[in-house]
Formats: sequence, structure tokens, C-alpha cells
Amino acid sequence: MPLAEAQLATERRVHYTQRMGFALEVARPFGRDKEVKRYRLDSGLGLILLVDPAAPIVTYQTWFRVGSRHEMPGKTGIAHLFEHLMFNQTSSLSPGEFDVLIERTGGDNNAATWVDWTFYRDTVPSRDLELAVRLESDRMQNLMLEREQLESEREVVIHERMLRVEDDLDGFLDEKLMKLAYQVHPYHWPTIGWMEDIRDLSLSDIHAFYRTYYAPNNATIVIVGDVDEAETLGLVERYYGAISPSEIPPELGQEEPDQTAERRASFQKPIPAPRLFYGYKAPPQGHADWAAMDFIAELLAGSPSSRLYRRLVVEKELATSVDSGVLPFRDPGLFRLEINLVRGISAQQVEQELEAAIDRLKSGDVPDSELEKVKSGIETDFWSQLEHCDGKAEALGHYETTLGDFRALFEMADRLHAVTAADIARVAKSYLVPDKRTVVMVEPSGEAAP
Amino acid sequence: MDGPKGSRVIVEPAGDTPLVWITVTALGGAAADPPGKEGMMRHMAELARRGTRERDRNAIEDAVDRLGASLDVGAQRDSVSFSATVLGRHVDELITLLADILAGAAMREQEHEKLLRETRNSLDDVRDDDSLLATRYFDRSCVPGHPYGRTARGTETSLTALDVEEIRDAFRAQCAPQNLIIGFGGDIDSDRGLALAERLVAGLPAAPAPPLPDIEPPPAPKKRRIYVVDKPERTQTQITLGHLGPRYGTDDAVALTAVETAFGGTFTSRLMQEIRVRRGWSYGASCRLYRARGPHWFRISLAPAAEVTADALELTLSLYEDLAAEGLREDELAFAKSYLEGSIPFVLATPRQRLSVAVSNQIFGLPGDYIHIEAEKLAKLDLDQTHAALSRWAAPDRACIVLVATADSMVPRLEARGFGPIEVVPYDAY
Repeated sequence: MPLAEAQLATERRVHYTQRMGFALEVARPFGRDKEVKRYRLDSGLGLILLVDPAAPIVTYQTWFRVGSRHEMPGKTGIAHLFEHLMFNQTSSLSPGEFDVLIERTGGDNNAATWVDWTFYRDTVPSRDLELAVRLESDRMQNLMLEREQLESEREVVIHERMLRVEDDLDGFLDEKLMKLAYQVHPYHWPTIGWMEDIRDLSLSDIHAFYRTYYAPNNATIVIVGDVDEAETLGLVERYYGAISPSEIPPELGQEEPDQTAERRASFQKPIPAPRLFYGYKAPPQGHADWAAMDFIAELLAGSPSSRLYRRLVVEKELATSVDSGVLPFRDPGLFRLEINLVRGISAQQVEQELEAAIDRLKSGDVPDSELEKVKSGIETDFWSQLEHCDGKAEALGHYETTLGDFRALFEMADRLHAVTAADIARVAKSYLVPDKRTVVMVEPSGEAAP
Repeated sequence: MDGPKGSRVIVEPAGDTPLVWITVTALGGAAADPPGKEGMMRHMAELARRGTRERDRNAIEDAVDRLGASLDVGAQRDSVSFSATVLGRHVDELITLLADILAGAAMREQEHEKLLRETRNSLDDVRDDDSLLATRYFDRSCVPGHPYGRTARGTETSLTALDVEEIRDAFRAQCAPQNLIIGFGGDIDSDRGLALAERLVAGLPAAPAPPLPDIEPPPAPKKRRIYVVDKPERTQTQITLGHLGPRYGTDDAVALTAVETAFGGTFTSRLMQEIRVRRGWSYGASCRLYRARGPHWFRISLAPAAEVTADALELTLSLYEDLAAEGLREDELAFAKSYLEGSIPFVLATPRQRLSVAVSNQIFGLPGDYIHIEAEKLAKLDLDQTHAALSRWAAPDRACIVLVATADSMVPRLEARGFGPIEVVPYDAY
């Protein structure tokens, strides 16, 4: 469509949607021939819509701006436990009916909680969009929270914690790393919560949490799929239009003080070979340096030819795997390296290699060919995450909720494409320094076979 | 469609993103590993990407990464596959590289030895993962001697028996064009797919496909067996129990697909409701009928806390015994049919998914539109048919039960409930 025509069409839609109670805030091209838009209801509810006719399905996600960062000591894990309870009864649905109605369509649903957000996902055939809208609006306002279900879900979460932390080496190390790296900020505690807090959370805690954070002005709906735009806007307005906003309390603003010395902890487990997690204090995802840190993660361990993978796994055979990444958090996160060592290899041997690799980054020794290689990989990853409508919605929802604007997804792609060797040297010097580093390690306790 | 030199070519176009997915699949798979040489097909596939006559390992990895591509190799039960994701503008270069690997894999002795060390080290990562451990021991114990029970990764002993000359011969045989399914999905059309397939097999000599491995299972054990895979300091227990199931594509498999859905394939299934929702005993509880060219497992999995493991196992077996005796209820069958009919668009939503389904159908020897044939059969399925299939296959009294747990505390708990005899195996013994 020619630009002038597109603008006119957009103006018509603005007029139309304003009549319906929606305001179109932003429209942006998406891929070759699509457009993603953000609307807002008077109540403050955001709606991001991407009409994608690739398949007769739709994903319907509700992102709440609440996560474990909004918890208090002694009440950790409430955001996640509450997420489980959202699948119980409402004033009009009996326990379990939510899941039955979704699964009967052939669709499925799930949810996730992390530090900065919680989101709920229903993926259904396009013809069942109204069902998803109705069910999600219902549980945003009419959830019934009973003691029996709290106790049952508490047990489920306790088992989930055993599965993901107590009996899982990576989960165990992840928890120890965050606990040691953060001393004040809520990123200190795990999203699933401390076991003793999970056991102690009360029904009144749960009620208060629901009343406080589950409101239209604290949420964004993300819809991606084969739907009609006007019909979708009409449905959302019909089912959410009467839900009142609530007063969202300001965050406590617990800023993490600068880390000025390396922190280390070591643990023993009945395992055959050691495992090491490193966490360097890193900028928040909205910071201009985040992209360069993400780039470094790819350069060090993002592919079989990446520097650390080749050195540690291929050439020196010190490790069986190396992973890296920078946490996509609203507040300063961690640049992480996770290394599974070969039996009999010491952490010192690996650290010498790690230091050498980081020193090389600081020197600016990143040839153009390597920059281009990483950029190509990042471009492939960018499109791969957007293959399915669920992935598209998750990417849009994450950036909208964490950074306040879904367009940050595309800006991040541009930033990554613009990273230079000088950027890499500068951020490596700023962030990848021992004084900002936390190291946790699990070593064999001797109970495993030699 | 027919491809060059007797290969088969599948193209699933969709210009939604600038990506192209490529798969080159050789029929056979880990089921073709010679007894005592488990891990050979996986080793062969990985070794192939570690050097050709033209390029060494680093040169191949550099070339793949320079294109921003990913290249994964692997051995599944019935096939060996090379799978790539690449930006459309780089697809030609990736095909050149893949063609070089297929026709010119060098399989140097030095890389062979290095890969053996890496695979042995990777066994430690498996031992750190209770879920993988449960699967590994279940596969070994469910129907001893079944080709699908062999570990695709290999064991310390079987890896030692691998011979690089034998592997080179196997790779040449596997790469006979008539044995290959070449698939493209994404930003590509059929003509271009065919042209790229021509280039892919240009360097391969025309040769007949090797015979497919015999995947007929030996007779299944006639009684229940319980194994505790002993691992220290477990707070919960990974439980895997099951037995042989029908071959995918048979009417019994269609019937058991509905059973799988209603009994343990969805959140609202019996297992999930009884184990997780009503009692909170495990984060998940599910069952699955494994899809393969031959008869594979029907398996139930859950992970209860150590202190409720005996209760959870007792209840799971009781639920399964009820299912075997009584079958599904009318409402459960109706639900399963509705779910499975509605779920088809989700399985076929993207070109990569459509390609995966199409390749699987080829591997399993099924028609290209089998997903729709299966849907028609499911729509006509009745309770009598599901009961009949259950009576032929459901065997709770002959199930193989594997528990990854700390034996000192777990075995007395199980024995106190009448479970036995129990065989304890060290977690790092296999």
C-alpha cells in the first residue's frame, strides 16, 4: 500500500477505535508485509495486536507488570505461586474448567513468572479467540481464591522447586549465584521463592497480591494470529471495558550498591565433574551498553566457532560445554558464563583461559570478519524467535513489559547490528572486571564414581 | 516429490521470514547400530561434520557461523539427520558446505579419538540429569534386546569398540542418494529446492539404499520389573514406567493416541488431575506413545517427592490398571477427539513444523497426508476400538518401572508397600 494510503487507513482506524474506547498509540511495520500496533483502553489496559494469517491459530497473552521483584523478604515466591492459582475457579467457572475449555479446542495454555513480569498464554484456533478473551478477562477480575486450592498448589510448587532447584544442578547454581551477586535488590531471591516462604504464604497474602497487581492498568494483552482487527478490538473492549483500574503501589526502589570485590562460593555435590557459574554485574536491558554485552556473549560462547567454546571445549578439552548470556532485566542484571568442566579439571585452569579471552576483548582485538559473523548469527536468531506466533507475542510482550515499549525489540536488533570492536573493548573494560564478578562452583563430593 | 539420483525432496514454502530450514535425513538411525557398538550412528554423524577433504573441523564451523547459520547433526531411532537454519541469502553457500560434508567427510583418526573423549565426557552431563538418567535406564531395561532400547549416545564400553574404517563405510552407505530425504522449508520455492537438492547429491555416487535395520522387538518380559537407579541425595524421584506400544500408523496406535491424550497427554488428563491437581504430589504426570517406524514405548512419567514416592507409584499403577480394565469413559473419548482434531493447525503452523511432519511420515513409511488420515480415523474412533487396543497393549502387570532415587531410603519404602523384587543399579554404571 502506498504510504499516503496507509496513513489514511490508519487515521480511519484511529477514528474507529476511538469510538470503541481504544486509542491507537503506535503502529510499526513487522516483517515484509505486516504491522504491529499498540492500542490502549481508557482503563489503562494495553493491547498489542499483530495480525498474522500464516496459520488459522492465535496466541493470546496477558502480560502483568509484576514479578518477583515486587515481593518482600518473607513473602518470596508469591508472584509465582499466585500464577499457579490463576488456573483455578472464578465466580463463573468451576475448578479446572478453564483448562478443559481451552484444551477442548485443541489449544493449550501456560504461564511464566520471572523477576520483572508474569504472563499468561492461551494458544487456540482463531475461531476460538472469543473464548480466550472471555476466560482471561474473567480471571483478571473474578478469581476465587480458596484455602483448599492454595494448599494443593503450594504442594505443586514445592515439588517444582525440588525439580528445578534441589535436584537440578543448574537450578541450584543459578540460585546460589543470584543470592550471592545481589545483596539488596530483589533479584537476590529466586522467582520460585525460598522453600520456607513458599510454606508460609497465607491466603490473605494471596488475596492482597491479586487485588494489588492484577488490574487492567498493570497489564498488556498481546494478540498475534489469524484474526480480524476490528472484531478483535471489539471483543477486547466488550470483555475488559468495564474492569476498573487499581492503584498500583510504587516500587520500593531497592538499588543494588556497586559491587567492589569479587564474591565466591563453593559447594559439594555427588557429581562426577565440576560445574562453574560466573556472573559479572551488567547494565539493564534498556541501557545502551546492553547490546554490546549481548554481542560479547555470542562472541564468546554463542556458536561452535565462538572463542571460549573453541578454546575450552575443542582445543584444550577442559570443558564439555560453555554457555553465556546477559540477563534481560529492567534493572542491572548479570553477564553470565556457565561452564561444565571435564572430570579432573580445576577451576583455575579454566579461569586462566577466561581471563585471557576477556583481556583480548578489552584490547579491541575483534576483526571485522568476526564482527560480521556474530551479526549474521544474531540476525538468524532474531528471525528464529519470531517463527511462531507464540514467539512473536513473547518477544513483543517482553519488551513492552520490561522496557515499556515493544519497539525496543527492533531497536535492539539495530543496536546489535551497529556494535563495533571499540564498543566491545569499552564495555569489556567497564563490566568484565574481577571486582564485579561473582563465582559459584559445585565440586564432586566424592560419592560419585571416580 | 522425486529428487535427484533417487532421493526424495520435500519443500514447504512460506515467505514469512527470511529464513530457510534444511534437513538431510538418512534412513536407518541408531536402530542400525551394531550390537555392542551402540553410539556408532551418532558418532558417525558428528564425525562427518568434523572435517572433509577440503576443510578441517574449524574451517567447517567457521564457514557455518560466518553465514549466521546453525548446523545440527544427530542420530534418532530411525534416522540420522543434518539440520540447518540459514538466512535465505546464504542458502547457496550452506548447500555447498553440506554437499562437501556428504561427499567428502574425511573422518580423520585424530578427530575420531577426540570425539570419543568428548562423548565419554558428555555421559557425565547425562548422569547429572535425573530425567535423562531415568530415560536411559528405562530404554535399556524395558524390552531387553529391542533395537530402540539401545542408547544412541553409547556407553563407555561400546564407544571403545567403534572403528573409524567401519564408520567411514557406514557413512558412505547411509549417504546413498536413494536413502536420503532432502527437505526445505521457509523462504524457498519448489523449483529452487529441487535445484539445491541436485547440488547436494551431485558428488554422491548413485547406489542403492542400504537395507533398513530390523526393528522387530524380541518378546517382551512377562512380568513387572522394578529398578532403582541409585543416586545420592535425591529429594524427589524420577519415575518412568511402561512397556512396548503399537507401531505408529496402525489402527491400534490411532486408538492409543486418544488414550494417551485422555490419560496423560493434557493438563486435564486423568494422571495430571489425580497426581498434581488433587494431591500436589508431582509438578507433572504424563504418558506418551512413542512414534517410530517400529513398535516403541508407551510410557508414563512423574517426579514425586521422595516421601510420597511409594504413594504416587501405587496410585499411578492403580490408575493404569483401571484404565486397562475399564478403558476410557465416553466423555474422555469425546474430549480427546475434540482436542486432537483442534490441535492439527498447531502442528502445521510454520514451514519448519510442516517440514518436520512430512519428513517424519517418510521415515515411518506413512503417506504424506497421514496427519489427515489419522484425523479421519480419530473422528470415527469409538469406545470399543479404544478398549480393544488397550486390551492388546496396556500391561501394567508387565511394566518396566525405573525410579531414580537414593536407594538406601527408597527401597525400604517401596518394599513396605509390597513392591518387589527391586533391583538396585548405580547411576553411573551405564
